[in-house]
Formats: sequence, structure tokens, C-alpha cells
Amino acid sequence: MSRYIATRAIRGANGLVAEADALLQEVIAEKGADTPVAFPNTAYYLPVTLGMLGHEVTNLSDLVPVVDHAKKLLHPLPDESLWTPYLGETLDAGMATLLAAEVIEGIRFALGEQPEPYPGLQLAGATQYSGLEDGHLNGPIDDIQLRSWGIQLVDGRMPGFAAIVGAARTNEAAVSIVRELQRRNILTFLCGNVNGRSIIDQLHEEGVEMGYDTYIVPFGRDTISAIYPMGFATRSALTFGGLKPGQWRDILLYNKFRVFAFVLALGEVDDLKYAAAAGAISYGFPTIADTVIPEILPTGVTRYEHVISMPWNEIDAETEEERAAKLVQRAIEVRGVKVKITEVPVPVPYGSAFEGEVVRRADMRIEFGGKYSRAFEYLRMVPMDQVEDGKIEVIGPGIDGVEVGGAMDMGILVEVAGRKMQEDFEPVLERQIHYFVNGASGVQHIGQRDIAWIRISKTAAEKGFNLKHFGEILYARLHADFGAIVDKVQVKIITDPELHAEWLEKARQAYERRNRRLADLTDEAVDTFYSCILCQSFAPTHVCVVSPQRLGLCGAYNWLDCKASYEINPTGPNQPIPKGQCLDPEKGYFTGVNEYAHVASQGTVETVSMYSIMENPMTACGCFECIVMVIPETNGVMVVSREDPSMTPAGMTFSTLAGMAGGGLQTPGIMGVGKFYLTSPRFISADGGFKRVVWMSSFLKQTMAEEFKAVCEREGDPDLMDKIADETVCTDVEGLLQFLEEKGHPALSMPPIF
Amino acid sequence: MPVEIPVEKWSGRVLEVTLGATAEEGGTRSRTVTVGGETTLPFLHFEGEIPHPPCIAIEIADHRPDDWSPLLLEAWGDAVDDPATWAKAAEEAGADLILLQLSLTRDGDTPTTAEDAQAVTRAVLEATGLPLLVFGPGQVDADNELLVAVAEEAAGERIVLGICEEKNYRTIVAAALAHGHLVNGRTAMDVNLAKQLNILISDMGLSLDRILMDPTTASLGYGIEYGYSVMERLRIAALQGDKMTQLPMLVTPGYEAWRQKEAKVGEGVPESWGDWRERAVLWETLTATTLVESGADILVLRHPETMERVRAFIERLVK
Repeated sequence: MSRYIATRAIRGANGLVAEADALLQEVIAEKGADTPVAFPNTAYYLPVTLGMLGHEVTNLSDLVPVVDHAKKLLHPLPDESLWTPYLGETLDAGMATLLAAEVIEGIRFALGEQPEPYPGLQLAGATQYSGLEDGHLNGPIDDIQLRSWGIQLVDGRMPGFAAIVGAARTNEAAVSIVRELQRRNILTFLCGNVNGRSIIDQLHEEGVEMGYDTYIVPFGRDTISAIYPMGFATRSALTFGGLKPGQWRDILLYNKFRVFAFVLALGEVDDLKYAAAAGAISYGFPTIADTVIPEILPTGVTRYEHVISMPWNEIDAETEEERAAKLVQRAIEVRGVKVKITEVPVPVPYGSAFEGEVVRRADMRIEFGGKYSRAFEYLRMVPMDQVEDGKIEVIGPGIDGVEVGGAMDMGILVEVAGRKMQEDFEPVLERQIHYFVNGASGVQHIGQRDIAWIRISKTAAEKGFNLKHFGEILYARLHADFGAIVDKVQVKIITDPELHAEWLEKARQAYERRNRRLADLTDEAVDTFYSCILCQSFAPTHVCVVSPQRLGLCGAYNWLDCKASYEINPTGPNQPIPKGQCLDPEKGYFTGVNEYAHVASQGTVETVSMYSIMENPMTACGCFECIVMVIPETNGVMVVSREDPSMTPAGMTFSTLAGMAGGGLQTPGIMGVGKFYLTSPRFISADGGFKRVVWMSSFLKQTMAEEFKAVCEREGDPDLMDKIADETVCTDVEGLLQFLEEKGHPALSMPPIF
Repeated sequence: MPVEIPVEKWSGRVLEVTLGATAEEGGTRSRTVTVGGETTLPFLHFEGEIPHPPCIAIEIADHRPDDWSPLLLEAWGDAVDDPATWAKAAEEAGADLILLQLSLTRDGDTPTTAEDAQAVTRAVLEATGLPLLVFGPGQVDADNELLVAVAEEAAGERIVLGICEEKNYRTIVAAALAHGHLVNGRTAMDVNLAKQLNILISDMGLSLDRILMDPTTASLGYGIEYGYSVMERLRIAALQGDKMTQLPMLVTPGYEAWRQKEAKVGEGVPESWGDWRERAVLWETLTATTLVESGADILVLRHPETMERVRAFIERLVK
């Protein structure tokens, strides 16, 4: 907490409360205590007073207790030499300021001094005052408009509101800032002045139309009128939060978490503005100033930073528009407002229906990757200030120079930043590039990382699809689908040979780093597993427990995916399961897992072993990639893959076995798993691990040859794969036993499996 | 030999939800309707309480429906030409609630405007004293535009706005919050999806006693077993104490039954199918009564005779 800000806010509050007090006494003496006090067209009396104190003000005498309450919130200025925490005092001062400001505006209404006259001004849609023509500012927003905008704020169509206090450096800057806010559908509230000049004057001079219809509401030319946005915020909580007058804490929290508002302090910040900003902080609204002021960076009362200074002339930009864009962007980040993108701006049809499209060589305009060129895609997380949201660059030559049917080197570098982004999510998001790019009609995407292979069809190219559109797609889709973790996205499409080589190398280093991270990611290394109950629609009692070393049985969700999925959709099917106490490290019993499975399976499953097929094995839905089943005669297990239609030594085919393995039942000796679980050191480790595998569908042997080779080496039996039978060797137990004995399979001499 | 009936001790209870508001409560309804409150599975009176019997809403449309069976049009007569008259007829026929279905267009061509929706809502509210449910045409943009207007028009009446779905619920919920209404959430036959939508809606600040859920059912012969099973599981979860499943269930057997050929088609079907009218009404009735058995709290029906038969069925069950 800045002592400077505390001092000035407290001084400002003391001043304003004294002013309100004096004014109230004077007016009561002059007009009488029962003179009515009311804001126009509202059922919420003086809304901040009503919300915070539960006090209904109808006449001047009702204002007395409000001023008294404000006085109680005042504190002496911080000591020059003895430094104590002043956050509480400053927030108190802020609240006192708001109460005093509302008292003053209430009195002004009683005196007929509000709304503030503004000769010559015509508002496009405004609060209606009986008997008052044009030529005034808006004053408070009425209840009808509150509901109309409130619905849009609550449903997210309108991201939030900006309360601008003061005046911009120039008229051009004022217009740029307001246009930038309008462009993003952010409501703009105007109040205050700097040395007598207000942003309202600036916009008026520049002919900017103000009023409800343009989402720009001029409240008043002094700082005191900043109480109206706070009244709007308070009423939002009362109307949409179902809160009652006087529930001040809940009202403030509602605003912190649901009303995405911020204060833009333009020009010099005086004591009163500091005091009002302190009031806004109680609502969770941060202040962004375009002048040099001390910052309050730690988070707490507001979601992120409290006060940010971004001096106008130090903003790195060429024009006033660019400066305005950066200032507003920063404000949005500090408040945590999310941008919504609904359309993918490409010249070809776009949608998941086009994902499976194939572009044949004959129809192809150009390809990247494959046999004749190199393509890579790399998504990385970078600090917030290094991403310019929405920036899409093509670095190097475009596709025009390449002959039809030709190939060129290309790299897609996606840089994302987000408050909730983690390095662990990089591969999760990067893998989406495949789906996102494939969604464009006439574009085919195969592979990933540095084996990506992309084709653009002639038709798509004729319609104008070019390199830049990869960026457009990724920008739009990452925001739309992963907005919960990604705040800013920029994309570089690299075709410049030198840069391509440089970034390919960097990307490879990153892939390598991620591989190592995955290898280090063990069940012991984390304290949380994740659930997946996506399949409960047809297997109501099945609960997948996904750990770093045991991916989901469908193969589609590993631990990192689940973690990201939970961040994106906190109420979705992937929920964190705190491991709790480890009851048996061998078999993998954890108190947290048992408790979760019990609840989520509606009491059907009591206990789950993470690493055993013989004792309380994990249930399965029906989506498993493979079935593992004990063949008692061999003292081992067989693994049948979904792709394998043949008979197995168990006397049943995959489809018959699936009925036994699935349906959310715990059947010792049979289990549905994801194929990559076979390579995990935790694969039925309680029962002896991979060495128990005596038979495996040849499909798996072939498609995962490399992986299994590594597993056999890890298990200390490099030739193990040769000792494992498949459907081409035998599909009966006798044949299997004979084969195993011939080959000397280790399972035969292992301890009995049960 | 004395038989001991096993009695389950449930810890949970379905929430009570009240539709409509009388003049005292800020509305103009002649009475309110409360549903929910069960502490046991359907009609196990020996085990727990069933404070409110399932109730019946009659579905009416904002203009003469062009895709409804002639049997239905015949049953309601000229009333189908005017929503207000129709609502009144439904009330006289014994409905507990009126469900007004808005259409995408006014006459198959001109889009329904917010003003149209407000006018028809107003007319229906004035014609009947029953609590009202208003459902949008089922297209995101139209639903949001029309229902926001309807919510404003019916402020204070505690109507039910529908349909909230996972892809589009925020605006409808916001409109309900702004004007003191209820919402109906629909999910596709899945316990967890239903639960998730309830969480999402209540996360926006709408209290659970203002939410109804429609788990989606099917009609008799078209997968009603699946719907039955999902409803049963939702109800068991509710009774076991899972808060996010403790909402009363609204189902639409009228819509489900009347779009199937057994109810819709009178010609070119086997003779053994019997009398068309009788078959159609039976189809709707059996769809409805099956859903009553699986825990439905509000049944949206179309044919007046179905209502009579279902009513008689319910009366016997709650006795």
C-alpha cells in the first residue's frame, strides 16, 4: 500500500465529508428537514447508501445518519515517520467519500441543481426528467436502462464499464479512448475534470454523440458525479445478484467478481480523485491512470492490481489512437475482462464439419511439410507485455511465388499470454492447432509439432485463403475455446528461411523440454489427480481417475488435459481429486480417490486401486482403447486392442469382452485401458507390470513398436516383445502356453498372479 | 404372512418451486402453483412425503400452429386462432398452468418481433389467471430478443422463461434476474449435463428455487426408457442429497408424442392400429403417465382429453 495514496485519499475523504456535513446543515436550515430527496426514476433511493447501509433516504433529514456514518469511517492522516498498514483506513476513506458524494448529489437534486446543466447538449437517449428539456448532463442512470444494460452485462454481451474521470491530454486522445471502448462494447461513463476541463467538453467539441444509444453517458463535470457509476454498480448487485439492501459485503463481492468495471483517471489526480478511486477499489474496480502516480500492485481487494500508472506520453506508440488502444488494453487486462470472438474471419466456410476433409495432390494449391518441405507448429507462453492481442504477422514470402502443387517451408508460432496460463498447458493448446486449422474448408492438417503437414486446396486458394488466415483461425479459436486460460494471442507465420531454421530449432528444444517434463511427471510428484465422468451418460457409475502415469482409458485425456479442462470449465466433467493419504503405495490406494469414486459413482464403487487389475480395478465406461484380461493358465495377461477383430486366448473377441470390461463395473481380472497406459511404469505394477503381458494384438505391437521397445528395456528384458504372442501366433490357451514355454516368457516363473 | 415393506431413509428433498404471483405478491395471477417438495421416489407414500401432485400445463402457441395435428386443432376449435381465447379455454378445461410457445415468425414469413411477443404475453396474462410459462422459438438470437422483452412485460408475474440450454442460458437467466422470474433449463438426457446446467444457472445468482429442469424425454416407443432412467437417476441423486439435482422436473410429453407418426398420421397405417384419435390421445397419455411415474413435476400436454385422463391417473396415485 502506498503511503502517498493513503495520505491523499484520506485527506480527500476528510475534505468531502466535511463539505457534505456543512452543506447538509445549511440546506436543512434553509429548506427544512422534510424536503424530499430522490434520484430520478429509481426504486433504489440513493443506491450506494441503500446498498451499503440498508438506509432509505427520502428527505434531507434522512441524510444526517449517512453523514454521521461517513464521519465514523474517517481516520487521521498516516504519520510521517511511523509507517503502519493503511489499506483499511484508505478503504474506509473511500467508502466515506462515496457516502458523502451521494449525500451531496442528493442535496443537489433537492435543490434542483441536478442534473447538471450543459447548454447546447442533446443526449441520444437519456434519463427523463419531467419538465426538463435538452441542455443537461444525464445524472444517474434510471432503472429501466439499468435492467436493459444489466442483462447484457450479466449475460456477457457487454464486457463491463469504464468510468472515466478527468480529461484527456488532447481532444483527439479523448475521442480515441472512447472509440476504443465503444469498439469493445464497453460502457463508458464520464465524469470529473482537470482544471475545469472535462472529457465531456472534449467529446462535445469533437461532435461525439453521447447518450444511452451510443453507450456513452456523461454524468457530471465534477468528481462528485462519479458516485453515479457506483450507484449503477450497487443497483446491479441488488437487481441481478438477488442481494438485499445493507448486505454491503456481498454487494461489494458481487461487483468484484461479476461487474467488470474499471476507473480510467485521465490527467492530474487530486486528493478527491484518490479518495473516490479508493471507494472504487472497495468494489473491486481498479484505477488506471494516464499520469505518473504511485502504483498499488499486489492483488487482494481487486482481482489483480489495484492502481496502475501508464503515463500517456510514455506509451510506446506512433499515434494517439494506438496509445488509446494500448491504454484500454491494459485496463482490460488489469480488470480481467474477457474478449469474446464468435466468428472465424476466413474466406472459406469454417466449422467442425470440415475437419475430416482430405485435400488430394491433384486438388492441391500448396503444401507445407510432408515430403518436400518442412513445417512446424509451436505454441508458447510469453509474458503479458510481450503479446499484442490479435497481431498476426506473416514473416517471409507468401504463397504466390510458389507454383501450383508446390511446397514451401512454413512455421506457425503462436504466442499466448494469460493470467491463468501455465507452461504445462502449452502442449494441450498446441495440439488444438490440428483441429482448429482443419476446420477450414479446403485445408487439410495432419500431424503435429515438427511433423505437421498442411495442404491448401486450389478452391480455398482461389477464394483468397492465404497464410495470414492460419493466424486468424488460431486467434479466433483460441480465444473462443480457451478464453478461460488465454487472455492474449498473437501469431507469427514464418516462411523466411533463416528465421524458419532458427525457430524450428527453438521449437525442437521446447518439444524436448516437454518430453522430459512428461517423463518426470509421476504420480508421486503431484498431489492431485483428476476425474473424468464424461461417459456417465451411458455408464452412470463409471469414474475415470486420471493420474500423470495413468491416462484416461479412452486415450483422449491425460493428466495435463484434465488439468487444463478443469481450468477452462470448472463445472465440467474433469474435477480435481486431491490424492489424500496414500494407504498403499504398491496397489495405489488413496483416501481422496476412494472418497471421490464413492460419491461420483453414486455409492457403487467403494475402493479403487490405481495399479492393480486383481484387486478393486478401476471401472470402465466402454470407450477403452484396449482390454487387459488375466489368462489364469499363463499366470499373465493378454491385451486386446479395439482394432483387433480376431479371436483371443480368452475365447472371446474384443466386442464380447467389452461387455465384461465396461459398464462401470469392477471385475477383478479384466480392465479397459488407454494404450499408452501399457507403457507406463505404473501399468498393473502391483501385479508385476508389463512382464505379465503374454499376448497382445499385433496391431498394438506394430503401431507402438518403438514405445514397447523402450518399455522392455526399462523392464530389464530387451527381447520381451518377441516372447509375447499375438493373434497370428495363437488364439487359444494351449497354443499360447506352448509358445510361452518355447520362448521362456518371464510370466511363467513369476509369483502367482492370484 | 406379514410382509415387511422396506423403507429407504432419504436425506435429501426436492426443492419447492412456486410459479406465478398473486396481487399480494406483486403479480396478477388468481393463484400460484407450487411443485416439488418430494422426500421419496414417486408415489411411495409409505416412505416419504409428496406434498404437491404433478401438475399439468397446456401448451398454446402465439398463432395458429401450422405443424400441429388436425386432431389437436379440432379439439381446441377456433380458440387456436387467438392465444388469449386458447388460454382461457385451457383454463376452463382444467389446466394448472399455461405454456405459451413463441414462434420464429408471425405467419411463416415475417419474423416475430419483441413487441409481438410482449403483446401476446400481455393478452394471455389478461385472459387467464393461471401462472404462465413462456418458451422462445428455440433459436439463440430470437430466444434472447423475445424472452428479454417478455420478461420485462411480465415483470412481477413470476413466469417461467425457457428454454435455457448450455449454449444459451445467460441472457435468459439475466432477464429472469432482472424481472423476478423463473427459468427452465433443458439438457439432453444426461444426469451430469443436467447438473452442470443447474450449476451454471445458479452461478449467475439465480436461486435454485427459481429453476426447473427438463432432462429431455422421448415419446412412447421412441426411447422413453432412456428418459425414464435419466429422470429416475436424477431423482435418486436428489434424494441422496445432491443439491444440484434437487429441482422439480418439467417434461413435454405433448410435444414428444404428437411429433411421432402413431399420433400424427391417420392414413396409410395398418388397420390394426385402430382409431386414429383414440390412438393419438393414448400415445400422449401413456407418454405422460410414464413420465409421472419417473418423477415428473410438470407435464406439458396438448390435447384436452389427454389432460383429463392424466389428471384421473394422477388423482388415483396421490390418493
